Amino acid sequence: MDSLPAQEAQELAWIKRAQRGEHEAFGLLVERYQRRVFSQVFRVIRRPDEVEDMAQEVFLKAFRAIRSYDFRSPFGAWLSRVAINHCLDYLRKERASRVTYHWQMGEESLRRIEAQTENPEGGGLDPEQQATVRDLVGKLLDRAPGEDRIVLGLKELEGLSVEEIAEILNLKQSTVKVRLHRARKRMLEDLKGWRQGR
Amino acid sequence: MRCEEVRKIIAEDWPEEAPAAVREHLAGCPVCDSLARDHRLVRAGFHALAAEPAPEPSWGFSTRLLRRLQESPEREGAEFLERVGRRVVYATFLLALTLLLALALPSSGPLRGPTTAELYLAQSEVVIAGNDPVFTGEFPENNGATPVAPGNGGAGEKP
Repeated sequence: MDSLPAQEAQELAWIKRAQRGEHEAFGLLVERYQRRVFSQVFRVIRRPDEVEDMAQEVFLKAFRAIRSYDFRSPFGAWLSRVAINHCLDYLRKERASRVTYHWQMGEESLRRIEAQTENPEGGGLDPEQQATVRDLVGKLLDRAPGEDRIVLGLKELEGLSVEEIAEILNLKQSTVKVRLHRARKRMLEDLKGWRQGR
Repeated sequence: MRCEEVRKIIAEDWPEEAPAAVREHLAGCPVCDSLARDHRLVRAGFHALAAEPAPEPSWGFSTRLLRRLQESPEREGAEFLERVGRRVVYATFLLALTLLLALALPSSGPLRGPTTAELYLAQSEVVIAGNDPVFTGEFPENNGATPVAPGNGGAGEKP
């Protein structure tokens, strides 16, 4: 296996060749980053059947724009920026209001889930409860504004640090923290409203 | 601890486990406790969502992508021509519509100004009035442009 500096040098050479319009070199970059792009697109848009088409569009956009890449940030972060911008365009076209859902949990099962989450040492959630909370938060995410979905998806689902998110979104770390705070607050308010309205 | 501080910790720090001081507050404050329960529920949901595997690229993904890249200059050229063609059609349609509207408008009324023929006729009346031997010199201030009505110092009102 190649050492990290050797890998970086190799990647640099591929990028330069791709900037000269060599498709084969770009293909090598695609091979290296395709899983990462698939994962990020999936975490943000949450539509497994659309991920491949979107990832293909992301790579096509990246190839057309690769001459603008100036080597100042890591190539992976630059590519993630292209992917996230593409997801944001997609989410803006989607009308959030068309997402409707019903509360499927009974009062009793909700109490049980809450008790389990309060005391994770007691064994945590069983698979059915996990599916229920996954469905619940998935629906809350579907209703959230595009910007919220992106920061929450990158932080809570992709597990990226604030620093990494700031690099991808080309923002200050303090701005990312504020956006995360607002997105979480909005999500909790949405959940509260949902519970009160049921 | 005050409610404000507790809510800030819950929403801002998003802790995996609430600190002891927060737990103490939650035991005596049902409103903050309800927020904390929602927070735990959402956290659990995020954990479950994060455990979901992302779809893998299908076999031959990069090959298909490269094929599309090779086709794309031709496709872009075709798309450009299509865009230009569409604009020409729109422009022609707009021009035809303007011409139709111009022809369909009424030939008189408030929407239409005087025609060339009407202007020509009006001009000849003025010329006739100016050259009339009866009225010559009768309209010193008017210079023959408009006949002056009787009673306003016009013809037939000699002292």
